[in-house]
Amino acid sequence: MRIALPRPRFGGRLHDPRTATAVGRLLGLAVFVCFVTGVLSHYLQEPPGWLSGHLPTRPVWGYRFSQGLHVISGIAAVPLLLVKLWTVYPQLFVWPPVKSPAHAAERLSIAVLVSSTLLEVFMGLLNTVQWYVWPFSFRQVHWALAWVIIGSLLVHLAVKTPLIIEHWRRPAKPQPALQPDQTVSAALAAHDELDRRSLLRGVAVAVGAVTVVTAGQSVTPLKDADLLAPRNPDVGPQGLPVNRTAKAAGITALALSTWKLEVHGPRPYMLTLDELRAMPQHRVELPIACVEGWSKSAHWEGVRIKDLLARAGVEDGARLRVVSLQRRGGYGVSEMDRPYTRDDLTLLALRLNGEVLAPDHGYPARIIAPNRPGALQTKWVTRLEVLA
Amino acid sequence: MRSLTALRTLLVLLGLGLCGFGVFQFVDRTAPGPDDVAEVLEWLAGAVVVHDGLLVPAVLAAGVLIANSPVRRVLRSGLLSAGCLSLIALPMVLRAGKSANATVLPLSYPLNWGIVIGVTLVVTASVSWATLQRSRRLSGRGKLKS
Repeated sequence: MRIALPRPRFGGRLHDPRTATAVGRLLGLAVFVCFVTGVLSHYLQEPPGWLSGHLPTRPVWGYRFSQGLHVISGIAAVPLLLVKLWTVYPQLFVWPPVKSPAHAAERLSIAVLVSSTLLEVFMGLLNTVQWYVWPFSFRQVHWALAWVIIGSLLVHLAVKTPLIIEHWRRPAKPQPALQPDQTVSAALAAHDELDRRSLLRGVAVAVGAVTVVTAGQSVTPLKDADLLAPRNPDVGPQGLPVNRTAKAAGITALALSTWKLEVHGPRPYMLTLDELRAMPQHRVELPIACVEGWSKSAHWEGVRIKDLLARAGVEDGARLRVVSLQRRGGYGVSEMDRPYTRDDLTLLALRLNGEVLAPDHGYPARIIAPNRPGALQTKWVTRLEVLA
Repeated sequence: MRSLTALRTLLVLLGLGLCGFGVFQFVDRTAPGPDDVAEVLEWLAGAVVVHDGLLVPAVLAAGVLIANSPVRRVLRSGLLSAGCLSLIALPMVLRAGKSANATVLPLSYPLNWGIVIGVTLVVTASVSWATLQRSRRLSGRGKLKS
């Protein structure tokens, strides 16, 4: 006896290849932008050997732009992904479930693509609110899944190429009908096209809505519409948000009271804060930009790293290890590629927006360099070590 | 046609290679044990179960509810925006006030969520009303269009 499983029937007419193509290409664009900006950030944070000595310091707003875009395209992907998956949802129930080994392989690739993309977007969104509900490393899994997504997406595009080509353009206006049943199908097609355009308008509105209420955390003109972003660029000590507070980093009053800057190089030396303040001070305007998607430009004042290195006997910059007083959490030690250390804009900053650095911004001294991930703009700096 | 087949074959191979690189990166960078691999797989499967098993059926049910409305398309767009805004607001609403860092989640998220839903409601209602007025004017001449 054969048991008939109840299978859902879908009456809606937009679960079709044309709708999937129209939404899918927008989603593909968002995924591609997310992927490229994400890879860029990864390599700026962890430059592989072959990039060492070649990291770009221009444009100064590069990291701000790319990571703002990363989170904006990730959030825009939410409506796009949901509508795309809704469109193709009936495919989940195709019968028979597996027709051939090739069909099985294709379904497996879809399972990989869908599950990775859903988890990736979910993890990204929760990372921006610093809420880690999963038992594994955010950074490593987010990074690995990005490659799985882009790989399975290419497989998906290859499998669907004929369908995508067929449905890339809007269907042609129906010809005058010869048979009565053709009139019916032409009328249905025209109705579907109107319905599809309405759906696409709805998708555009949803993408616009989620973008407008979140993008203000990095896009200054949208600051006043910042209703649902995890950060507001104006909220923070000295008008600037913070990722790790002095308390969270374990900075103690004792450590600060005995603070000195050590510079290790061919001619090592030590400086007190007063001696540092007596050196030539430079003012720069540079953004602080976080991989979590918030950023803001600020005025910094302090001593050029290249001046500090020259005093240690290094004339043309060098790879540098920057050590913080920080005792808790990651990024207490960072490495700075040579191009930053010879750049006029790279400072050991002592002041921010006209005031002495607030404790949460790294008092007494922090790194600020152009086109650099915020996580590497090390705070509470106590030692600079010339590496090469 | 043959060049298209070649291109598609190339895409499949490249795609498989990139997937493999992703898996390699996970293994290489985290040196996972069997439990770690199982955890990631569980979360991947969990994402699909929640989406395909809960979210989409709820969306389809909403679709059935508005199916016979004369302003079905407007309601669909309104629900889509409200739903996506809510999904994005949810982590912030749930998480607000729980961080020791006052610059993380500094806004009144429940209030702001209410504001964006309220705006969506007003816009959806206005467009629905305008659509109804228009179709009433046209109803003398032709079929009612939703």
